[in-house]
Amino acid sequence: MTRRRFLSGSASVQAFRRLDQLTILARNQRFTETPVKMPGADKETDLSERIESFLSELKRCGSGAGSLRGSAETARETTALLRRITAQARWGNAGELMEIIRKEGRRMTAAQPSETTVGNMVRRVLKIIREEYARSRGSSEETDQQESLHKLLTSGGSSEDNFRQHFAHLKANVIEAINELLTELEGTTDNISMQALEHIHSNEVIMTIGRSRTVEAFLKDAARKRKFHVIVAECAPFCQGHEMATSLCKEDIETTVIPDAAIFAVMSRVNKVIIGTQTVLANGGLRAVNGTHTLALAAKHHSTPLIVCAPMFKLSPQFPNEEDTFHKFVSPHEVLPFTEGEILSKVNAHCPVFDYVPPELITLFISNIGGNAPSYIYRLMSELYHPEDHELYTGK
Amino acid sequence: LIAINVTSRGREEQPLLQAVLVADSFNRRFFPISKDQPRALLPLANVSMIDYTLEFLTSTGVQETFVFCCWMSSKIKEHLQKSKWCRPTSPNVVHVITSDLYRSLGDVLRDVDAKALVRSDFLLVYGDVVSNIDVSQALQEHRQRRKMEKNISVMTMIFKESPPGHKTRCEDDDIIVAMDSKSKRILHYQRAQALKKLHFPMNIFHSGSDEFEIRFDLLDCHISICSPQVAELFTDNFDYQTKNDFVRGLLVNEEILGNQIHMHVTKDGYGACVSNLLMYDTVSSDTIRRWVYPITPEANFADQEGQSCTHSRHNVYREPGVSLGHGSQMEENVLIGRNTMIGANCTISNTVIGANCVIGDNVTLDRAYIWNRVHIANDVKVKQSVICDNVEVKHGVVLNEQCVLAYNVVVGPDITLQEGTVLSMHHPDEEDDEDEDEFLSDDDVGHSKDKTKQKVFNPAEVGSEGKGYRWKTSSLDDTEEDELAECIWGLALNPDPESDSESEVSEGSHDLGSHPASPELDDVKVFQNEVHGTLQRGLDENISCDNLVLEINSLKYAYNISLKEVMQILIRVVLEFPFHQQGAQISTAQYSSHLLPLLKKWAPVFKNYVKRPQDQLDCLASMEEVFLERETHWAALVKVLMSMYQLEILEEEGIMSWFRQSTTTDKSQQLRRNQGLLKFIQWIEEAEESSEGDE
Repeated sequence: MTRRRFLSGSASVQAFRRLDQLTILARNQRFTETPVKMPGADKETDLSERIESFLSELKRCGSGAGSLRGSAETARETTALLRRITAQARWGNAGELMEIIRKEGRRMTAAQPSETTVGNMVRRVLKIIREEYARSRGSSEETDQQESLHKLLTSGGSSEDNFRQHFAHLKANVIEAINELLTELEGTTDNISMQALEHIHSNEVIMTIGRSRTVEAFLKDAARKRKFHVIVAECAPFCQGHEMATSLCKEDIETTVIPDAAIFAVMSRVNKVIIGTQTVLANGGLRAVNGTHTLALAAKHHSTPLIVCAPMFKLSPQFPNEEDTFHKFVSPHEVLPFTEGEILSKVNAHCPVFDYVPPELITLFISNIGGNAPSYIYRLMSELYHPEDHELYTGK
Repeated sequence: LIAINVTSRGREEQPLLQAVLVADSFNRRFFPISKDQPRALLPLANVSMIDYTLEFLTSTGVQETFVFCCWMSSKIKEHLQKSKWCRPTSPNVVHVITSDLYRSLGDVLRDVDAKALVRSDFLLVYGDVVSNIDVSQALQEHRQRRKMEKNISVMTMIFKESPPGHKTRCEDDDIIVAMDSKSKRILHYQRAQALKKLHFPMNIFHSGSDEFEIRFDLLDCHISICSPQVAELFTDNFDYQTKNDFVRGLLVNEEILGNQIHMHVTKDGYGACVSNLLMYDTVSSDTIRRWVYPITPEANFADQEGQSCTHSRHNVYREPGVSLGHGSQMEENVLIGRNTMIGANCTISNTVIGANCVIGDNVTLDRAYIWNRVHIANDVKVKQSVICDNVEVKHGVVLNEQCVLAYNVVVGPDITLQEGTVLSMHHPDEEDDEDEDEFLSDDDVGHSKDKTKQKVFNPAEVGSEGKGYRWKTSSLDDTEEDELAECIWGLALNPDPESDSESEVSEGSHDLGSHPASPELDDVKVFQNEVHGTLQRGLDENISCDNLVLEINSLKYAYNISLKEVMQILIRVVLEFPFHQQGAQISTAQYSSHLLPLLKKWAPVFKNYVKRPQDQLDCLASMEEVFLERETHWAALVKVLMSMYQLEILEEEGIMSWFRQSTTTDKSQQLRRNQGLLKFIQWIEEAEESSEGDE
């Protein structure tokens, strides 16, 4: 079915061009409304409408700590939207397409800087375009990854100039590759939870904090075969830990909720700490929900292994404290309710959402492609993203 | 035409959510600032207020908004056309409707009805509402109620829970709401402005439910969900001007018209209306402190070019191109606009600075709201003040709390402005000229600018190089001027005489309590003064009693005073008459010698009002009240009673039953033990017996 769509897609490229001239004419004559509704024009407005609604949704999501949707969903939506852009936008060669994707990507990341998955997916798609372009040209970009110093010296300048060549099948290929990416995204949580039995053993005491959909699935998967005890730190002030505990209880997992202050006290009994994260940073550190740093330090003190369940799409080329947008502050309502009255005019209340967890506190990452040590993150990073895409803003 | 097309297209699936945004305040609270810029466009944390309102509406899912403007409508229109709301991709279609004829909210809604703009339930907000409340739940409840009982509930008002003393509560807007706890129906709605006593009509507690709440911890967000009927009701009742009128009117006529108003109280979210500068201060600081998240300065929700700012710890926001001199500190809650330059050794806290400002060295800013292109020289101190566009503050100027420097003013050098100083390039007298027109139009301002040129700036007010006129300061004794200066900061309560007085009296008549109707109400006082004036004139000009009665009756209707109150006031006025004429220090003998002829003269007037036995009792009760206030003149009471008895205004039975009434206070018991009074009573008793004996 997809094949057919691709064909019609490439056929409409020429239609677009013609339409382009028409609209330019129309603009010159100062027509405010297009007299005849063209299917192409409809597509254009439809696309920009979709982008706008996605942007506004991004801006509004996350009034609390976690957004209304999981980051997996955000990743899927971003990728689907990028696929739509690839299919419907007007572009002639890979360079133009990358420019469009980069431009929209910049807007999307700016809309919700704390949601790094959006930027990550944009980078993944850019990388796909690079690869597909290279494949169409006959050379293999994949081998270029291991660029030696010698190669760097001789290659001279970026390869961007070469993206100008036109290939008829590029669009279809890119879309197919994006579809593959989407399939990969669909399966991430399952891939991670499949590994649960290797890490969770019978009668272990597991500690986790807040609510992570990945960890939830991970624990539930293990619970099908093994009996173990989960301690959930409630993760104030948003207390998603409560939701997590309720959800685990329904699967007949023995669950205890503790306040964040009791993490250290309980840690001595814990065999393993399994947490989720919002972002995996380039240095192998985490940007995770508030309280995770405390938890990691306590685990370190007791030499309890700390396992982070993080799908690959959470891997971001961002380094900690690179910019001010690293932290996210939300309404102080949760910390000091608005109804508190007079005291509000006398105090400043802050409500940060994320903690930075340094890589030395982390034992293992479990991603959809297997377990890795924090020191290996840089390597995964270079496999996933092209070094030129790390910074979306520096592109032309 | 387009609007209708869009509406009909949207209705196919589910009712299109529409909103009516009133981008005019219909008052002069923000004068002189709003002389140059409509209130909806004033920057709040560097974004126009109307953008906050539109963002709120859009995020709650409004798909079509009608913006109504009157004052400086062209500016608002221009602003909206440039904004993201008018882009083709905007999820919220904004239509601007302008007319110079809108004088109140009532006019706007009547126009909504006349043009048939709304098809289903709509949101009604003012252009200065800053909020992130999710109204979807309230909307759902509203629709549910409308479905359950067809068209009974016409409006759902949204309230935010915030206890007294909260800084977002503005005293002007303090309200008392009585509600039915189960159905969330509003039974009584009253502004609580400095009222010490509150009256609730008893009948509200008789109806329906057995659970009531009377709440004072609510903040009116000025967001309401209205059904199309609201617009119709405004058309039917052409005297409704404000929402207040409407709510009161509906509640009073609830039984007749059968319309109900419900409420929705939210704990989460933020909602406030920038109704004066104090609220401006509060809402700005709340925005900076991220209470309105996700509408925060760094979100750049208005999507304006170059407005993206960064947020760092202690709520310091910086737009691009900000330069900060050596040793300058941005302590906390600071927002600095693009390309603003700040000199060395400045201390800045709780402050918003607009774009392209230049600030010198050693400047201290605390709670200052500085708009765009302002120049501030060295060694300036600013505390809690608003400085508008293009103002120049010269070297060494100190602005104390609550100063306002309106557009283009120049101040200084080396001058200290007192608390509450308001400076503007418009001369305050302009306003007096224009007061004749009820409302200002753009032309008026144009005219008056020419006039301004002829007047000279006072160096004592604005400094030797200054330009601007001082408006009113609150330190002046003149009460009238006092009102305005405080008004802009919203400290003083400035009750709206029309809307409040009517409603309060109507409550008085509902009042079933045994108390004499609330004496502290303004109308009653005014009425009392009028009666006094009438009697005085009657005495001076020797007007006949019939005419006096006529005049008092017409006053009674003018002020909507009940008959009982008329009598009470009449008694009080007459008894106090000698004090007014001769001074309060006169002796008892002098008092009675003055009073008795008056009583004789006005006996027909009294007879007109005191007819039934109950009237006599009321009359006596108010006599007692007057005398209780003046202990020294108790001796005169007997003489007054005597002459009233002889003039046949009062009868024995009345006096006796008054005397035997079981009284509560010590003082009135004491009064009854007065020697003279006892003798008089005895005399009456005997007279009664003898008359009975005669028969």
